[in-house]
Amino acid sequence: MTESAIRLLELTKLFDGAGEPAVTALTLDIPRGSIVALIGPSGCGKTTTLRMINRLIEPTSGRIEIDGEDASLRPVAELRRGIGYVIQEVGLFPHQTVHQNIGTVPRMLRWERARVDERVAELAGLVGLEPEQLGRYPDELSGGQQQRVGVARALAADPPVLLMDEPFGAVDPIVRARLQDELLALQERLRKTIVLVTHDIDEAVKVADRVAVLNVGGILEQYAPPDELLHAPASAFVEEFLGDDREIRRLALKRVGDLPFEQGPVLDIGRAPAEARALLDDARSEWIGLTSGGSFVGWAHRDHVEEAATLAALPRELPAAQVRASSTLREAMEVIMNSRTSVAVIDDGGRFGGIVTLEQIRSGLAGRDA
Amino acid sequence: MIALPIAQAAVPRGIGLLEWLGDLDTWLGPDGILSSGLDTVTLCAAVMGTGILLALPPAALLAHLRRGELTATALVTLGRAVPTFAVAALLVPVALRRGWGFEPWPIFLALLLLALPPLYLNTYTAIRHVDQGTVDAARAMGFGERSILFRVEFALAISVVFTGIRVAAVQVVATEPIRAFLGGDGLGRYVRDGLGQNNETLIIGGALLIAALAATTSLVVTLLERVTVPHGVRRLRLQTASRRGSIG
Ligand SMILES: Nc1ncnc2c1ncn2[C@@H]1O[C@H](COP(=O)(O)OP(=O)(O)OP(=O)(O)O)[C@@H](O)[C@H]1O
Ligand SMILES: [Mg+2]
Repeated sequence: MTESAIRLLELTKLFDGAGEPAVTALTLDIPRGSIVALIGPSGCGKTTTLRMINRLIEPTSGRIEIDGEDASLRPVAELRRGIGYVIQEVGLFPHQTVHQNIGTVPRMLRWERARVDERVAELAGLVGLEPEQLGRYPDELSGGQQQRVGVARALAADPPVLLMDEPFGAVDPIVRARLQDELLALQERLRKTIVLVTHDIDEAVKVADRVAVLNVGGILEQYAPPDELLHAPASAFVEEFLGDDREIRRLALKRVGDLPFEQGPVLDIGRAPAEARALLDDARSEWIGLTSGGSFVGWAHRDHVEEAATLAALPRELPAAQVRASSTLREAMEVIMNSRTSVAVIDDGGRFGGIVTLEQIRSGLAGRDA
Repeated sequence: MIALPIAQAAVPRGIGLLEWLGDLDTWLGPDGILSSGLDTVTLCAAVMGTGILLALPPAALLAHLRRGELTATALVTLGRAVPTFAVAALLVPVALRRGWGFEPWPIFLALLLLALPPLYLNTYTAIRHVDQGTVDAARAMGFGERSILFRVEFALAISVVFTGIRVAAVQVVATEPIRAFLGGDGLGRYVRDGLGQNNETLIIGGALLIAALAATTSLVVTLLERVTVPHGVRRLRLQTASRRGSIG
């Protein structure tokens, strides 16, 4: 495991007047440059945990180390400037333009104006805001755009840590999926240490490197990479929380390219029909795939192969069900379900890259490592 | 400032309103409208200045700390029920006994009591209603509590605070003329003298002057808001005005 950027050590929070702690002896190592999702039922202490990291809430006992340093010993304003904070309510300043909002922390750090402008433009590009939107006020943007501004503002002074509390909870599923993709693309470039609170197991599984499942009272039930979590829930609570379709969800975690290469009953159209017949018998298949110059050109039925003089002359059934090496197994399964061939062809940038069958997908799930 | 016996504005009975208002002496004389108006404006400005200093800081601070919700509600009920004239009248003997004279302490204190509730309440509620997410985000970005209060909460509340100032100022200006019935002068003197002399012109003229000053006050506060409040905050007001009525 890589070096941890944030360590929670026996962290406990008992709110004044509350009978039970909101967070109980939580110990968690958050590796540098990774995304960790906190998930659990409502009221289980996710937000409380997050807010203890930037000291919006002070823990009752236990310790938080950031870069090996006790967070409670650092001046709070300085600590917070090194930690971006993105919340569902976004919390943009409604009386300031998008530009002013994004530039808040740099201005507070007394950057020169030109440098602030440059940074704002850079961040706008990074999160996918149009330059003309910079002059607008937050209420003149859509919810998804506002959330982008919130992310840009949190990233303004390039903090190494980003805390996100249900950042995409308020937008519709389509925008949410897009924002999740953008977050992943952003993370690819920035390699921040991100702690993300979510209600949505699909979101956690999709974006996180590790998922912490909390029970009521902030009790850690399991802390594992998504695939391990879905494949081997550590407790009945986790199992129930993940739902019955957790194995199916794992399909979204694996990519077609991770499967072992399978050539399948596929031949170049220059080969002899006799070879094709032998291949079909071997594979006990009704269909034969044809390639030409390395590209897949279509499927031909066995009946036609019997009487054809050359493979090139065979009537081809198009379009072939195609997936990419980067497609998830879930996508591949959907493609296969919708095709007549019960096989999908891997299109590797225009070239034939093998075939995927349901059987392969099933055995792909059996192995635990992605 | 001791004004006994009261100098009465001596105006012939039969004179018309326009004639009275058109006479330069009506405006410029020692008991003229300008000097009476100045008396009124000075007192009202003093009341408002004191009121703002007394009401805004505690209102802002308590709202920031999210305390004193009950004080605020109590003030609404209490503030609206205080009879200004009665308070001022009751204060006259107190002021006399203390050797402060007839004027203008009783009316000053009574008007201050009138101004405080709208000033306090508008400030308190406006700051309490600032979106908690915005405040949280500011705090998480490393804003200190003072910056949050001034640069976020107060900045966002300023328009509603101005509404409180406008409401209080108009009430104060419109009520100040009772001073003329408590041994003082000011713009109320014309109505008082008109009543005493059974002179309709004076009564109507005096009433019109008071109304005009109240309207001007409202305008001046609005203009003041225009100049001092940044565009970004002002445009918010236009939007929230339709969503949530401010307290006045
Ligand atoms: N300031 C507070 N004072 C007292 N109790 C609080 C406070 N903040 C949170 N709590 C309590 O602590 C518990 C955990 O709250 P928290 O907000 O961390 O939950 P959460 O996991 O983020 O829930 P959700 O998914 O609904 O956002 C809850 O029982 C909540 O009522
Ligand atoms: Mg929460």
